[in-house]
Amino acid sequence: MEKTVKLQAAGHGGGKNIWSSSLAFALMAIVSLFTLFPLFWLFSSSLKDISEIFVNPPIWVPSVLHWENFRELFVERKFGIITWNSFLLSTTSTLISLIFCSLAGFAFAKYKFKGKQFLFVLVLASLMIPHEATMVPLFSIYKNLHLIDNIWGVILPDLANAFGIFFMRQYCMSLPDEMMEAARIDGCSEFKTFRRIILPNLRSGFAGLGIILFVKQWNNFLWPSVILRSQENLTLSVALKALEDSNNTPYHLIMAGSVISVVPLLIIVLIFQKQLIAGMIDGAIKG
Amino acid sequence: MKAPKWNKQMLVAPYIYISPYFILFFIFSLYPILYSIYISLTDWNGSGEKVFIGFDNYMQLFSDNDFWLSLWNSALIFLMYVPLMLFVGLILASILNSNWMVGKGFFRMALFVPNFVSVVAVSFVFILLLNTQDGLINSVLRNIGLIDNPIPWLESPWWARLSVAMMVLYRWLGYNMLLLLTGLQNISKDLYEAAYVDGATKIKSFFYITIPLVKKMLLFCTVLSTIGTFSLFTEPYILTQGGPLNSTLTPVLMLYRESFQNFNFGYASSIAVCFFVLMMVISLVQMRIFDEKE
Repeated sequence: MEKTVKLQAAGHGGGKNIWSSSLAFALMAIVSLFTLFPLFWLFSSSLKDISEIFVNPPIWVPSVLHWENFRELFVERKFGIITWNSFLLSTTSTLISLIFCSLAGFAFAKYKFKGKQFLFVLVLASLMIPHEATMVPLFSIYKNLHLIDNIWGVILPDLANAFGIFFMRQYCMSLPDEMMEAARIDGCSEFKTFRRIILPNLRSGFAGLGIILFVKQWNNFLWPSVILRSQENLTLSVALKALEDSNNTPYHLIMAGSVISVVPLLIIVLIFQKQLIAGMIDGAIKG
Repeated sequence: MKAPKWNKQMLVAPYIYISPYFILFFIFSLYPILYSIYISLTDWNGSGEKVFIGFDNYMQLFSDNDFWLSLWNSALIFLMYVPLMLFVGLILASILNSNWMVGKGFFRMALFVPNFVSVVAVSFVFILLLNTQDGLINSVLRNIGLIDNPIPWLESPWWARLSVAMMVLYRWLGYNMLLLLTGLQNISKDLYEAAYVDGATKIKSFFYITIPLVKKMLLFCTVLSTIGTFSLFTEPYILTQGGPLNSTLTPVLMLYRESFQNFNFGYASSIAVCFFVLMMVISLVQMRIFDEKE
């Protein structure tokens, strides 16, 4: 009997050793401090006056909370419309990607068609083209298509999402074939089958992929910073960098702007954390 | 009567379903990458005439110290954070995998948060923390008497590389830990029990059971980190602008400079093509590892 108890303890990682568990807990706490402290500093600095940013001794929490940093951003720097742009861009891009990815993923999972093997390898191979390597030609193509300084210019290249096709294909493959056959016998057209029968069963896939795509687009920086020009077309990430002035960088405003960019995402991620984490792991391992 | 109609639909439907992807792929990926190869053989400032110059851009690139430096910097940054990240990540994953740990959900999220917070925002916070004069870290270190002179976190080549590496570590530790945790969850607990019966300590179990069994996952994380490190852009762009003395210049940052700051589109395209080849080689290695896994 005693032997069994010991074995159980070992299976639990030797929890009877109070010292090693405390050590493990302490390590975890230190690393969490390392990951969470910069966020605390971000929030604290966003409510400081510019004169309180670089001072020694450091001001941990400002005694007067300078909410006017936020007001200045919204009133004088167009952060209202910029936040709206980020939201619109991320939502539109995510929704359209989800439709395209689920259609293509469904086709690759459930249909037999000529050239399927080859086309799928092509999707696979397309993952190897880094977006950064296409920026120069894309920029000159955009000039002709009038997509410079246009948020559609950010959205369009990201809609062709090979990763998303893989992701949705996995989910579609787990659906039973009988579902489609039953719908066909009932006289549903192919698209109706997809819309009425398949789509509702892909909900968890949509949640996982959707949150990944949304986060990625919300934080997208390099390409938007290349093509977006006028203040009222910027996204939050680009606008933050644009606040930087060579002589006198308004770090208090940059921190306030960062809070505006971080908080919505933090809320969304806390709501969907299970889907996000599951999706990221699935995506990394299967893709 | 209806059967043939279905069949016809079934033949056409998949092509319609995959067409949006392929149309967008041809316009926004395949055509640009081929066009990129062509531009790399010309001298072009983005608006004037393209002058065909053969492989001159590549000759110039391969004798350009900055290009080799950008690869070398990436390799150094990689060495500065990846071993540490995988080692700490694995230890933390083991802790989260044990039954006795409390607050697992909180810690998992706390470690993962930096991964989805805007890189731009995080980079600016790091500037506040690492500023030489009155950045928080130097202030604290000086106040508690650990250092007399401020550390030039962003102003000397080696410290700047380390700072960039630490920021990348900050962003990716939690993500890699989660991947390793999935690897650990596939290991049977019986193995640890057997080792315990044989008198192995926990540290011994870690080195003789845990590490060998998550080797594939460690390798996988290493490949992902290689891709990530060689495509670094935002972190060095905001923290150091690639400086000081180009010590944090990365291939993508160099590509950005040559194209959208200096308007040497031809030369920039030769960087883009080399970068594409590099990424392709790494991806092929990754696929091989992945195939062996199955």
